[in-house]
Order: sequence, then C-alpha cells, then structure tokens
Amino acid sequence: MIARLTSLLREPLVHFLLAGAVVFALFGGAASDPADRSITVDEPQIRVLAEQWEATWQREPTPTEVDGLIRDHIKDEIYYREALRLGLDEGDIIMRRRMRSKMEFLVAAQSEGEAPTEQVLQAWLDAHKAKYATNPAISFDQIFVGEGNAARILASVKAGANSSTLGSALSVPKALEQVRGEEIDRQFGEGFAKSLAQQPIGKWTGPVTSGFGAHIVRARKVTSGSLPPLAGIRQAVENDWREANRKAREDKAYQALLDGYTIRIAKP
Amino acid sequence: MRISIKALGLLGTAAAALSACNQTGSMNGKVDADIKETAYSERVYWGDTHLHTSNSIDAFGFGVKLGPEDALRFARGEEVTATWGLKAKLERPLDFLVIADHSGGLGATQALYDAPRFLIQDPTLLRWYDMMHESPEGRVKATGELIDMAGANKLPAALRNPERTKKNTTKIWTNHSSIVERYNEPGKFSAFIGFEYTLMPRGDNLHRVVMFRDGKDKTDKVLPYDPGQGDTPVSQLWDYMDAYEKSTGGKVLAIPHNSNVSNGRMFELSGPDGAAMSADYARRRAAREPLVEATQIKGDSEAHPFLSPNDEFADFGKAGWDIGNLTMQRPSTPDMHAGNYVREALKRGLAIEARTGVNPYKLGMIGSTDSHTALATGDENNFFGKHSGNEPNANRASQPQNLGTREGRFGWNYLAGGYAAVWAKANTRSAIFDAMMRKETYATTGPRMTVRFFGGWDFSADTLKGDWVKACYASGVPMGGDMKDAKGAPKFIVSATKDPIGANLDRVQIVKGWVDGAGKLHEKIFNVVWSSPESRTLAGDKLTPVGDTVDIATASYKNSIGAPQLSTVWTDPEFNARQKAFYYARVLEIPTPRWVLFDVLRYKAKLLPGTRLKDQERAYTSPIWYTPKG
Repeated sequence: MIARLTSLLREPLVHFLLAGAVVFALFGGAASDPADRSITVDEPQIRVLAEQWEATWQREPTPTEVDGLIRDHIKDEIYYREALRLGLDEGDIIMRRRMRSKMEFLVAAQSEGEAPTEQVLQAWLDAHKAKYATNPAISFDQIFVGEGNAARILASVKAGANSSTLGSALSVPKALEQVRGEEIDRQFGEGFAKSLAQQPIGKWTGPVTSGFGAHIVRARKVTSGSLPPLAGIRQAVENDWREANRKAREDKAYQALLDGYTIRIAKP
Repeated sequence: MRISIKALGLLGTAAAALSACNQTGSMNGKVDADIKETAYSERVYWGDTHLHTSNSIDAFGFGVKLGPEDALRFARGEEVTATWGLKAKLERPLDFLVIADHSGGLGATQALYDAPRFLIQDPTLLRWYDMMHESPEGRVKATGELIDMAGANKLPAALRNPERTKKNTTKIWTNHSSIVERYNEPGKFSAFIGFEYTLMPRGDNLHRVVMFRDGKDKTDKVLPYDPGQGDTPVSQLWDYMDAYEKSTGGKVLAIPHNSNVSNGRMFELSGPDGAAMSADYARRRAAREPLVEATQIKGDSEAHPFLSPNDEFADFGKAGWDIGNLTMQRPSTPDMHAGNYVREALKRGLAIEARTGVNPYKLGMIGSTDSHTALATGDENNFFGKHSGNEPNANRASQPQNLGTREGRFGWNYLAGGYAAVWAKANTRSAIFDAMMRKETYATTGPRMTVRFFGGWDFSADTLKGDWVKACYASGVPMGGDMKDAKGAPKFIVSATKDPIGANLDRVQIVKGWVDGAGKLHEKIFNVVWSSPESRTLAGDKLTPVGDTVDIATASYKNSIGAPQLSTVWTDPEFNARQKAFYYARVLEIPTPRWVLFDVLRYKAKLLPGTRLKDQERAYTSPIWYTPKG
C-alpha cells in the first residue's frame, strides 16, 4: 500500500495536480463552482484581499476600503461564475494562453528543486559517453602551401629538405604536440583535425585543405580520446541532466494529460 | 500583524526551495588559481560581453523565452531551441560570455507577465499585460511603449517601487549568479557576472555594460546598479563600483556602448557641470572605463564620414543610426557627431590630456552583440535578430525596427553583431578581466580574424621572422600599451590572419590621431599592407579596391581575391616626437554578403530599395599611445 502510494506520488500528473492545488489555494481560495449560487467570504480570504491592497499601496486599508474590497471580490466572483456558465471562457485566446502558461510553469518550477543522486548522474554519463569523451589528440607538422606548388613542396620535404624553409608564411603553428581536435579546428578551421587523423603516421602527405588553403602535413602521433570519470565532469553532467530532466518532465506531464484524450485530426 | 507573519512564512518556504540551487562553485570544480597562466598572451579568446536574456525588461517584452541558462549553453556550443521553435547551435563555441541584463526593472516584464491579472492595479500596466498576453505582436508593441516611457521618464509608479523592486531584484540576481557559476569552467569557458546600466536621459544613450571579475560569493553582496530614469550623473555608477571594490575586495569595470546614439553625450569635452573636464573627473572615468564597445547590432561607432571625410570605409553601420538618439526622441545634428564616435573620442582624449594631464578616453576596443534573444550570434549567416520580435523571418529586413514607437529605422540597418577578442594569459575570469584592464583587446564585426599589433622603437623587418611574438613582447608593447622616450620614429608590427572559416583579407590600415602644438586635432589613415600588391597600387592615400566576388543570388563569395594573411613592419613617416598621438590597426575583409541576403535566400524576403547588401567586415585593435616627455 505504502509502496503504491509512493509510486503514485512519483507520477508527474499527481505532482501537477498537487502543485496546482497548492497554487490554487494560495491565490484563489475556494474553488469557483458555476453550479453553486452561494458565496461565503471568510476571514482568511479577507486577509488575502487586505494583503494585496497593502502590497500595492504600502499601507493597511481602512475599514471602508476593506468593505470596498469585499464588495469588489463578490462582484468578481459573481461575474466569473456567470461567465463560466455562459461559456465565455471558451475561445478566449488570452484566457487559454494564460492557463497553459500557468500549467507549464508548475512543471518547470518542480524540476528546479530536484537534486540528482550519483547513480542517476553516472547512468546519464554512461548513456551519453560520446558527448563527454574527449576528442583524439594529434601531434603533427605542417607546411602552408599558399601560392606555392603542393606537389613540388611535398617532393622536396620527402627528399629531406628542411620543412621550415618550405612553403609560405602563415601565423599558425608549424608543429603541434598532442593537441585535441577541437583546438586544431579552432586554429585551422572546421574539419582539419579529422583530415589529419586519416593521414598515415610518420609520413609527409598532402595536400590537406584548411580554412587558409592547402598544407603538406606529417601526422606523428594520434592518441584516441577517452571518457573522463564522473568526478572530473560532475557539474557538466549535472547541468545537462537538469536541462534534459526539465524537458522530460514537461513532455511527460503533457503526455499524461494527452493520454486521457482521444484526438482525431482531419486529413488535409 | 498576523497577516505579515503569514506572508513571512510563505517567503521562508520559497527561500528554502531556492537555496537548493543557490550554490557557488564552477563547472569543473576548479578555481582560477588552478589554471596556469602563460608568460605572455599566447592566444586570443572570443566572447560576447553584452547579451540579454528573458531577465531583461525589454527582451522579455519582445518575446524571448530563453533565460541565462539557455544563453550559457548556447554560447558553450550546445543546441538550444530558440523562442519561436527553431533549433539553434553556434558553429563555433565562444570562450567567454557576459550576460548583461538591464538592471532597471530586472525581471519586471516577466513578473508582470506572470502576475495574476487581478493583482495589477495600474491601468497602464494592466493594458500592457493584456497586450502581452494577446499576441506576440502585442508583446512587442507593449515593450516599445515601455522603452519609450522609460526614455521620457514616465514609467508607471508600480514599476519604480524601490522596496518591491529590491526584493524581486535580489531574487533574480542571486539565482542568476548561481546559474553563471554552474557554467563557469576555469581553463575552458569563462562565464562572467554582469549587468547593463541603462541611463538614457531623453533617449540619449549613455548605457554601460558592467562586468565583475569575481564570483557569486562577492557579487551577491551587491545588487546591479540602476540609475533610474532621468539625468543622473554617470559618476554615481563609478561610486557604486568604488563601493563594491572597497567592501568586497573584488574588481569591476564598465564598458560604454552605442555612443553612436548618444547625441554627442558619450564622449564630451566638458565635465558633468558643463565646465571644462577636470583632471579628477578624467582620472575616474579612465580608471573605470578602460574599454569601449565600438561595434554591435545597433550600428558601428568607430568613425563617421562627417568627421572623417577622407575615410572611404567610415560609412559601415551608420545607415539609420546617425539620424537620432536611441529612442528617436531627438534627432541628431552634425555638431553632435564628435561626441558619438570612438576615433573622435580618442582624439578628444589627447586634447583633454594636453590641458589637464589626464586622458579620460584612453579606450581599448571590443565588439559585442547586444542581442536580446539570449543567443550570442555574431555572423551574417546566423543573425538571430536584435530581439525575439525580429528573429529570422521574411519581413524583418524591411520592417520599421525602431525601439520605441516612432518611425525612422529599418530592419536592414541592424548589423549582425560583433565579438570581443581578448589576448589573455589563460581562459579564466581573472585572466580575461586583467587583459581587458590592460586593453589587450580588439573588436570585430563578427569574423574571428587573428590580429596582433605591437609598437616599439627597435623593430626591424627581421623582427617578423622566427618567434616574433615573443620578441615583440620583449622589446615592444602590445595593443593597448604606451610608448614613451622616443628613439627615432615609432615602428609597428601588425599581423592579421583571416578567420579560418571566413573571408580573405583586403588590407590592413593604421589609423593615427594626434594633437598639434596649437591644440588642433588631426587624423590620418595609412594603408600599410594589402593583398595582391603586384596589381594594387597607392594613388595618394587611396589604394586600388580589392574587388568583389559576392554573388547576390546565392548569398556567397569566393576567396579568389584577398589574402589569408597580411603582416608588415611599419614606421610612421610623419612622426613628430613633441606631439601626443595614438595608433590603431583596422583590418578589412574582402566584401561579403550581409545577413539580409541570407533572408532573401532562405525566406524569400523582399528588400526595400537602398538596402545595403554587402559590406567589408573588419577588426579594430585597441590603440597604442605615444606620449612625449614633460
């Protein structure tokens, strides 16, 4: 029984309704029932009215003003119920948007307070290894061809010419040691690291194209990427989990509601 | 009494719920001190110091649904869903970000939007509330009215209630700093805490971005400073900054922006009392405002054709912006331009220094976006709009896009935004902030070209060989630096490398400004190195244009002209050792298509006659100053 209750409490729909009830109690007091034709204004409600007044005017209302607030509240309530009875809430775009944004807000607010356990984060990490694994690191040399002739430069360097005397000047490193792919791309343009990693190790080859033009390259060492332990990237994982959790919560809450409906859509 | 006790009880619950996420600490558990700094600045870091999210009163009003967390995720290279449902991901992540939401009414429009309707008493607020909920257009319109009323000092009293505002601001500010801490990753990505100070008397833009070097432990001790409406002196912001540093031991700087719509008030020759600026005032300003945001979505503030008739490239990002102040409450007249543009400010700084001994406008350069979409996009092919009311669609380029409710500016007047480039010794808040204080920065209009600029007395053509950067640091000063004790004419080394995924470079220019013995101000632009020198020649000061490969129909260009890299050693041929002077480098790309052409290609946008279709994007380095002895 307790187990069932606990699992029930984990249901997003239940959370949704519970939170809704709390917010409703804070702002609305008793439910407005269109079928009910009696109105009772109790003491807590009067206090809420007075409090709202105070928040706006920064002073307590006088007894006459409280009287006016109560009358206005009754007028609000009567018109609201009559409007519901007449179905005036139907098709009112402001009403609809407002209601939806309130419902969405309830879910988002709940997911903010959740704290994931280590197990949850480890499971998240295990399920998204590719996202957290570091890129391969590459050591390489490069000669910028520029206005020169790629085939001729390649032949010269293969024949033993000093690579630093060949090619054109460019302010990017002529040699890099164990630099990650994203850092190489940052300096040479998108895709350069990937092209480098495909070259045979220890041999001058090319041309390979960067954002600047053609290069003759020599990949010396490629170290494959690895997955860091959770402890090293905990906050990054938690940030992503939070974001995904919020979205999932929203989707699930909506799905739970959607499941209660039969939807038919006309074919265009 | 019982009423207030009950209210306190409720607040307590809310505070407990919030404290769960009210944490300090970084994304990788490291602090700045854990990251080793290099001996000198070995690499340039890219960032946006000026981004708005749903916490900004106007950004939310214009419809943005994305908050600081989305903004940080996007800047770091994660995919987010933009306000109207488009998936958005930066092609290349940024290295740092300053979220600078307006301090005035922080979160106020969101609070208004989320408030129960029956609680809103003010008739204007109620009308805005209904407009905002009615449709996205209504939301844009309500926000336009709001900005207009703020400029006219007529905001409804309910938005100005200090006590209520304070409570609300504290909550938003401390939640915000928690999010920033969670995404700050020393060594990899620097997330800064900051805000925008939004002073605009009668619509004259005197805005500053205020950014902190510190984390939440210090910044939570203050609230973002709001000058309110009307004409309060900027020195009150500096008082606030002084007080922050004194009480927390932290550090903070301010960056003026959009001087182009200040109607001459951003860079005045006079002090706040209208008399000639005093040395004390100049000293305070220089200490608090080391940088200027020279280019951003709302136009470019480097120079103006009226002030620089010999500068054929000064018209970039001027159309629409030079006709009036921010809200278009007052038109701009030519006599105001001198106080609106950075090059003139640099010159005025020399004149004030000649008189008082202190230069108030010793400004380093950065660019940024000022985007109100929570998306720090800076490129022509990813312009996400000034705000969520003009995120990508078929009509935005040709619609009136004035901020207030008046006519005057059109969508195509917007630039795609700029970025700040910072030569720092590490990617940490402290290293980037310190580099900004020493002005080792440059502005770009979006492309990420790498630009080095050094001044020295002993450089030669050989200096550019071998490990020249190290040599330049050893025997010269980098951008933002000072030269004294003249030994012959000053020499400058400039090296510009194209954005690895961008357009080739047309030319590098050095802009010199100086004050002569009679106190008269001068400027001159030198073309110092350019592509295809064999076919392009100088006739007087003018260089053969680079050409144009832009294909309008496909919004594309070819790198068949221009050069991937331009570098040279340049000596000032007109140097006079007795004259105060500054020198900065301007790097121009070959012509490329503007964002409007991508709108035509993607959404079949119809453009107005006169719409600017292409531009030469550019970088401006911080100047190097020469000061004679005595």
